[in-house]
Amino acid sequence: MNRPLILCGLALALLGCGSAPTRAPLRDYILTGAKPDHLFVIDAASRSVASDFRIPEANGWVGSIATTADGKVAYVLVNRMESIAGIDLTTGKQVFRADLSQGNERVKSFFGINVTPDGKQLIVYELPTLLELNEYKVQEPRFAIFDTSAGLAAKPVRQFPAPRRVHMILPKKDGLSFFALGFQLYEFDLASGKLLQERGVRDWNRPDYSLPDVLAFWPVSEPTGVFSTPTYSMHGAGEGKPGVQRTSLMTLDLGSGALSYQDFEDTVALIFSTAISPVKGQAFGVYTQLTKIDTVKGVLADRVDLAHTFYTVNLSSDGKEVFLGGTTCDIAFYDPDTLKQRANMKLPGCPDQSISTMRVIRR
Amino acid sequence: MIQSGIERKPRSRAAAALVAAAFLYAPLQALAAEPALADASAGLATTRTYCAGCHTESSPAHFQRLSVIRKSPEGWVMTIFRMEHVHGLALPEEARDTIVKYLADTQGLAPSESAAGRFALERRPNVPDLQMGDDLPVMCGRCHSLARVALQRRDADEWLKHMHMHVGQFPSLEYQASSRDRYWWQTATTVLPGKLGGLFPFDTPEWRDWKAGTHAQPTGEWLVRGRTPGRGDYFGTLRVASQGPDAYSAQWSVQYADGKASRATSKVRLYTGYEWRGTSEWESTEVREVFALSADGQRLSGRWFDAQRAEIGGDLTAERADGPAAILAVSPRALKAGTTQEVVIAGRGLKGAVSFGPGTKATTLATAPGMLRVSVSVDAKAAIGERSVSVGKTAAAQMAVVYDQVDRLQVLPGNAIARVGGGKIAPVTAQFEAFGFLEPRPDSAVRTPIALGPMNVRWKLAPRNEEAVKADDVKFAGSIDASGQFMPGAAGPNPERKYASNNAGDLSVIASLDQGGKELKGDSHLIVTVQRWNTPPIY
Ligand code: HEC
Ligand code: HEC
Repeated sequence: MNRPLILCGLALALLGCGSAPTRAPLRDYILTGAKPDHLFVIDAASRSVASDFRIPEANGWVGSIATTADGKVAYVLVNRMESIAGIDLTTGKQVFRADLSQGNERVKSFFGINVTPDGKQLIVYELPTLLELNEYKVQEPRFAIFDTSAGLAAKPVRQFPAPRRVHMILPKKDGLSFFALGFQLYEFDLASGKLLQERGVRDWNRPDYSLPDVLAFWPVSEPTGVFSTPTYSMHGAGEGKPGVQRTSLMTLDLGSGALSYQDFEDTVALIFSTAISPVKGQAFGVYTQLTKIDTVKGVLADRVDLAHTFYTVNLSSDGKEVFLGGTTCDIAFYDPDTLKQRANMKLPGCPDQSISTMRVIRR
Repeated sequence: MIQSGIERKPRSRAAAALVAAAFLYAPLQALAAEPALADASAGLATTRTYCAGCHTESSPAHFQRLSVIRKSPEGWVMTIFRMEHVHGLALPEEARDTIVKYLADTQGLAPSESAAGRFALERRPNVPDLQMGDDLPVMCGRCHSLARVALQRRDADEWLKHMHMHVGQFPSLEYQASSRDRYWWQTATTVLPGKLGGLFPFDTPEWRDWKAGTHAQPTGEWLVRGRTPGRGDYFGTLRVASQGPDAYSAQWSVQYADGKASRATSKVRLYTGYEWRGTSEWESTEVREVFALSADGQRLSGRWFDAQRAEIGGDLTAERADGPAAILAVSPRALKAGTTQEVVIAGRGLKGAVSFGPGTKATTLATAPGMLRVSVSVDAKAAIGERSVSVGKTAAAQMAVVYDQVDRLQVLPGNAIARVGGGKIAPVTAQFEAFGFLEPRPDSAVRTPIALGPMNVRWKLAPRNEEAVKADDVKFAGSIDASGQFMPGAAGPNPERKYASNNAGDLSVIASLDQGGKELKGDSHLIVTVQRWNTPPIY
C-alpha cells in the first residue's frame, strides 16, 4: 500500500543512514495531506518531496494532521472524518488505526483530533449518531482518549462528555490537560475529563464587540508552541450605528495557557488561518492574500495578493520562511520580510490538498 | 410522471444487498379485501414491498414514520430519493412512481396547505421566500427555502426526528456560518419541533375535508393564456382526455402575441386530486408542467418550465371553454395615444363590435377559438387612464390603458441571482422585464399608479459598487440580450481575473426607454454566483 519515495536527505535524517559519521543538522519537513490518500513529507530547504505515503483506507478523504515536534508519527483524520490513521514518518507504515464508527453507531470527528506532546495519547472529539432502522439519533458528543501504542484496532481507553460544536483540540504542553475550541475555549483535565475552565469566546468579555466568529480548523502551533486563529466581530455597533467589522488574532500559548486577542484591522480581507512566527512581533495569515501582522503594534504590517487561495500557513522553525499550503496541489514558499514568493512546488500528480492541515516537523 | 430533477447515480451493490436482506423479513401480506380503488391498493402493496423492511407496518397500512408525515408529490420524491441514495433502497422506477402517487394521494397536502409554498413547486426563480419570523429564516432558510418546510405536515415528535436526520446526515451543519454563532442544535431540538408542529401539524381539518371529498376532473376543453417573461403573452386552447385513473393526455395549441403558433401534447398525472404534473415537448424543448386544478374544476393555474433549466418558463391560466361569454384578457393592455396597434382579446363567446371607449377605433382583423385579433387606433388627444373593453354585449372593466408617456419603469425581479455554468451543470440565467407605470396626474383621471405591462426597453449592465468596478464584473460575469435575459459566464477559475477568481459578479441591470429624446430608467440588482451541485425538486 505504501510507496515511499525515499530520498537520500530524508533517509539520512530519519534513519540515521547507518554510516553517517556525524549527525546531520536538523532540517524542516513539511507534512501535508492530499486526496485521495496521500501524506506528503516535503524537504522544505530543497523544495522536494521526500516521501509520498499512501494512507490505507482513507476513503478519498484526508483531513487534519496531528503530530509531535519530533515528527515520528503523523495521526491523520481520514475516511470522511470516521477514522484516524497513525503513519510512521520513517517507514510510511500504518502503526495506529482507530475506526471510530462501531456497529450502528456512526462517529465522525469534526477536525477535532490531536496528540499529547509526549506522543502517547491521542485525543479525539467524537460526534456519534445511532443509525437505527428508520431513524437517526444524534448522541451527545464526547472526547475519546486513545493510547497511541494500541495498534491497528485501537479502542479508546476512556471517554468523557464533551460540549457540542468543538472544532479544535489543543493539548497543553505539560500533557495534563487540553483545550477544546468551540462556543468557548474549554480546558479539560486529560486524565479525568473534568472541565477545568471555560474561557471567553462566546463570553469573551470585550464590551463594544459582538461575539467573535472563530472557525479555522487547522491545529497549527509550531514553531512557537502558540496556537493562533483569526476572529471576526463587529465593533461599536448599537443605537443605530452599524459598527465596523474588525479582524483580530486570537493567540493561545499552549505552555502557559495565556489567551489574548489582538485587533489589527477593520475586516478588509478574509483570512482563513494564521501562524505565529518565532521572529518576535510577526504573524502570518492566508486566503486569497498573504497577510503579515505586526503583533507588537497590533497592526497590519503588509499584504500581497496570491496566485490562488491557500487555506493554511506555517513557518520554518527559524521563522525565515513562510509556507503556504492547502486547497490545491502546490506549496508556496515566501520571504517573510518582502512577502515575495521564493519558490512554488507542485505535488506530484497535482492532487488537491483541500482542507488538510500543513504541519512542520524537524528531524 | 413527476420530475425528480436529480441525477441518478448507480447505487452500490453492498447497499442494494443490505436492502434485499431487509426485505426478507418484510411481510408480503395479502391485501386486505376492502373496496379500495385499484390504484390505492396497488400503491399500498408496493409501499409495503419496498418500505416496510425498514418502516415496520405496525398496524395494517400504518408504517412507522412514513405514515405520520404528509408532503407534496415533490416532497415524497425527495424523501424517497434519500431512501435510495443514503439508505440503499433499490427501487425500480415504476415502483417509485406508484409509491409517490399513493403517498401523495393518501398523505398529501390540501390545496390551502400547499398554496403558500407553490412558488417553490413551480420553481419560480427569484421569488422571495416565505416570511416566517426571525428564527426560522436563519435556522432553516439559510440552506433551503422555508417553502420546503411549509410544504410538509407532521407533529412535533416527527419534526424532532427530522432534526436528528439533519445533523446525523450533515455533521458539519452546526459548524457552518449562521449555525456556529448560535446554539443551533439546542434550539432545533427544544424550541422548534413544537413550533413547527403547531404551524404545520399532521392532522388538520383542511386535509380531512379534502381527503374525504370527491375531486373534479380536468377532462374537457379549456381556453389558456399566459406570459413567458422575455417573450410575451400567449393565448390558445387545451383539450384534456382521460388515459386511465388520474392519467391524462393534454393537447395544447397556443399562439404568441407576436403571431407565432405552436402545439404540443403532454402526458399528465393528477396527484392529490389537484396537483397537475405534466411533461411535454415544445419546439424540441422538454417541458414540465406544475399546475393546480381549482376545487370546482373550473380553473387550472401554475407554471411550466424547461425540464433542464427550471428558471426558464412561463405562467399559465386556463379556464373552461364552455361558459358564459367573457373577456378574459387583453394583450398588450397599454395603448399609446396617437398610435395604431394590434391587440389580442381573449375570451369566450366573443361576437360583435369591439370598443375601447372614447377616442379609439377598433377593427377586427381575425378570429380564432378563444380569441380575436384587432387593430386599435388611439387619438393623440384621447384621455389617458384605464379603459373598459367591450365585444358586442360583453364588457370587462380596466382591461386596457391609454397612455401618453411612461412615467416610471420598474425592473423585475428587483433582486436576482444567476449562476455560472460549465461542465455538466447548465448556467442559471436570469430573465428581466421592465414594467411601465402611469403615475397620478392632477389633470387626468389617473388617481393611483396604473400598470402598463412589460415595455420594450434597452438593456445594459453596470457594476453595482466600487468592488465590482475594480474587478471588472461587467466584463467577466456575463451578458444581457435584447429580451432582458442575462447569460452568466463560464464556471471555474478565470486566469484573466485577479486571484484567478471565478466569474462571479455584482451587477446593476438597467432598463432604459427612450421617449422622444427623454430617457426613462429602471434598475435591478443581479448577483452572479457559483454553481449549485444539486437541483432538488424543491429548493
Ligand atoms: C434500508 C432502510 C430503509 C428503507 C427500505 C426505507 N427507508 Fe425510509 N428511512 C430510513 C431511515 C434510516 C430513515 C431516517 C433517516 C432519514 O430521514 O433519512 C428513514 C426516514 C424516512 C422518512 C422520514 C423522513 C423525514 O422526512 O423526516 C420517511 C417519510 C421515509 N423514510 C419514507 C420511506 C419510504 C416511502 C420508503 C419506501 C419507498 C422508505 N422510506 C424505505 C430507512 C429506510
Ligand atoms: C445546513 C443546511 C440545512 C439547514 C440549516 C436546514 N436544512 Fe433542512 N435540509 C437540508 C438538506 C441538505 C436537505 C435534503 C436532505 C435529503 O433529502 O438528502 C434538507 C431537507 C429538509 C426537508 C425535506 C426533507 C424530506 O425528506 O422531505 C425539510 C422538511 C427540512 N429540511 C426542514 C428543515 C428545517 C425545519 C430546518 C430548520 C430547523 C432545516 N431544514 C435546516 C439542509 C439544511
